[in-house]
Amino acid sequence: MANKVDVAVIGAGPAGLAAAIAAREQGAEKVLIIERAEQLGGLLPQCIHNGFGLEYFERDMTGPEYEKAFVERAMGLGVETQLETMVIDLDGERGITAVSRKHGYMKFKPGAVVLAMGCRERSRGAVGIPGTRPAGVLTAGTCQRFVNIEGYMPGSRYVVLGSGDIGMIMARRLTLEGAKVEAVVEIMPWPGGLIRNEVQCLHDFGIPLLLEHTVSFVHGEKRVEGVSVCRVDAERRPIGGSERFIPCDCLLISAGLIPENELSRRAGVELDPVTGGPVVDESRQTSVPGVFAGGNVVQVHDLVDWVSREAELAGRSAAAFADKGRLKPAGGVKVVPGESIRYVVPHTISGREDVSLHMRVTRPGLKATVKVGGVASKRFRSVRPSEMIVIDLKGDALKEAGTGGELTVDCRMKEGD
Amino acid sequence: MEARETVICIGCPLGCRVTVLQDKKGNVTGFKGADCKQGQKYVLDELKNPVRTLTATVRTGDEGYPLLPVRTSRPVLKVLMRPIMRETAKVTARPPVKAGDVIVKNVAKSRADIIATADWPGPGGEG
Repeated sequence: MANKVDVAVIGAGPAGLAAAIAAREQGAEKVLIIERAEQLGGLLPQCIHNGFGLEYFERDMTGPEYEKAFVERAMGLGVETQLETMVIDLDGERGITAVSRKHGYMKFKPGAVVLAMGCRERSRGAVGIPGTRPAGVLTAGTCQRFVNIEGYMPGSRYVVLGSGDIGMIMARRLTLEGAKVEAVVEIMPWPGGLIRNEVQCLHDFGIPLLLEHTVSFVHGEKRVEGVSVCRVDAERRPIGGSERFIPCDCLLISAGLIPENELSRRAGVELDPVTGGPVVDESRQTSVPGVFAGGNVVQVHDLVDWVSREAELAGRSAAAFADKGRLKPAGGVKVVPGESIRYVVPHTISGREDVSLHMRVTRPGLKATVKVGGVASKRFRSVRPSEMIVIDLKGDALKEAGTGGELTVDCRMKEGD
Repeated sequence: MEARETVICIGCPLGCRVTVLQDKKGNVTGFKGADCKQGQKYVLDELKNPVRTLTATVRTGDEGYPLLPVRTSRPVLKVLMRPIMRETAKVTARPPVKAGDVIVKNVAKSRADIIATADWPGPGGEG
């Protein structure tokens, strides 16, 4: 089946929708979103809580409301969608192989591709918790789907491992639905999610947050009967003798997200071992010409608003590539994470254009100064690993300062959180 | 004797722990730990009148789309969250529903309505 597609977007979550909209607005004629689920929106329909859109729309919206705004724009622009379609291969020449029950086996050779597959949750296997293998151990996102979409309560008494945002949001949701959340257990000395979630999801309901603790054992044969929780030392190893038993029938895991890059690997896209996502230049082009990436497939964002913005950039660039058959890689200058910086996206910049750098710090601190080579510096009253830092660089400043082909980003800070 | 209460400000990522100093009559005499005006306003609101936007779901009775997501039309007093959940749990929504439609008026006498946050049926006819 010959399908003439200008820009193909893989994934219909917030990143895919924003990328497709931007590609259409940039002039791409035929933009197709390929999505494995039966509906658009990715995880937004199950994120019924508010806090979305504060940056993008300057309005406090719920997940379904945020989704609706983007779906309506995409439909209004004539973005085409193919649902219940699984992309099973992407080759190094932008060739897509997909399958669906309705259309069978399909091949596409789009003018450009946007990777917008998002991320998936770290599971029990990925975290590695000793103990039995009973029912009742599930990720926070799976639980969210059960409770908010399917209408099932998977348990009545919960422990949450990891203080990621979804875990804290589910702790509140389950409590409001009548369950008891015994504790949120976090291995690090600081919470994994946003401050507002710690206050409004945990403090509001008196749910204890046990920092520097972990679940050391899962008990129960057929069903979870409880978990052992213990303190950890500075190396995150369990401290002997500090264990205590907490009875529960469900253990939720909210211990981080992993960008979903199986297809990127098949295409030979170079990945960053720290972010788990593609190495990208400032236009969000990957190491494979014509393959672009945006959203949580590149880096796990703290706010969906930044996912949308990054994916728009990828979508615009993909449309430009599809139009001319090429887009010069914007890769003259390498951006290198330095002191207390875990990663910086994009990995390379042109050194001539305005560009925003997104980054995360390795640890929390106060009175922090982030320096981007000799080009820019920005002060923050506090920095946290859970909150992304964005620094806007001006093309003129970059040209004037000169970069010597490399820019190191450092963060100096005082201890404390 | 002075009364003191501590509130974590969520106005920005800093998450300041702000102590509000009050005299015997409960008048606010000062702040400790907040050097920004917005923070002081948030902390005062949070002490006197803590409000939250509550989100939940209501039953639909439709097997293919069992739950409709909803929210309060405006932030409600924190103490009303549970009464609102109990009242919302009794309701069954009827299609068609558009996002923004009122599902429960003046829920639990909060002066806020429970409103839908999604269309049912959705754009693709799903749900």
